[in-house]
Amino acid sequence: MEDLIKRDAAYGPSGDIVAREIEGEVVIVPLASGVGDMEGELYTLNETGRAIWRKLDGTKKVREIAAELSEEFEAPPEVLEADVAGLLAELLKRKMVAEKE
Amino acid sequence: MSEPKTGPALRVRTVAEPPFSGEAVAELIRAVLDRGKAFRFRALGLSMSPFIKDGDVITVAPLGAAPPRTGEIATFVHSVSGKVRVHRIVGVERGRYLLKGDNALESDGEVPAEHILGRVIRVERGGRRVWTGQGLAGAAIARALRSGWLVRGLRRAARTFRREKKGT
Repeated sequence: MEDLIKRDAAYGPSGDIVAREIEGEVVIVPLASGVGDMEGELYTLNETGRAIWRKLDGTKKVREIAAELSEEFEAPPEVLEADVAGLLAELLKRKMVAEKE
Repeated sequence: MSEPKTGPALRVRTVAEPPFSGEAVAELIRAVLDRGKAFRFRALGLSMSPFIKDGDVITVAPLGAAPPRTGEIATFVHSVSGKVRVHRIVGVERGRYLLKGDNALESDGEVPAEHILGRVIRVERGGRRVWTGQGLAGAAIARALRSGWLVRGLRRAARTFRREKKGT
């Protein structure tokens, strides 16, 4: 699934979620079923996930996000590119993000 | 605590984790309802017993074009505590709503319209839908709650029940 993430594509939050940064957490509520469900359907991200999520604005490409994070976290871009792709794959599988034109 | 269902960066937030503050829950509910979608969450407390009990799953829908009516059960932000509550509308005065729990002694005072988040459209207990006493029944319950006799009557019945149970 991670391989399906295009490194030269931009991704952003899909229209099927509500996402809010509250009390230090990024909380994602899927709405695809027509109901926001606090019972087992509330998602959250770890620190790395939050840093990636904040950059998913629908304009920045995967490679660009990894390069930016590489400077912030002092980690090799290829490692962060894999992290970004891994999270995007999870988010894409749940229709929480979409590829943007 | 149950294991996360997904990878480390993204995971399901479990009910075992510290709950969000009332303000945060209100923000989430408002964000979902503003999108025209319903929101489900678990009831806490006994203030709406017997219609809504602790642990019941409540579904709240956006108000839409229809303003909340007396007798309906609404989700709102309490003016003093900032917490999200689910109580019955017992009256409307000067554009402000009066709300009260069916099993609460004190009313919630006047609640401005903008603090009403949505209306309760469904309550489930053990996976089964339960009757919430809205519509015509709701209006009658609201009148009884305002006059105070409903809570007094329910408490008197509970005391009698406990006495009889002790006696057996």
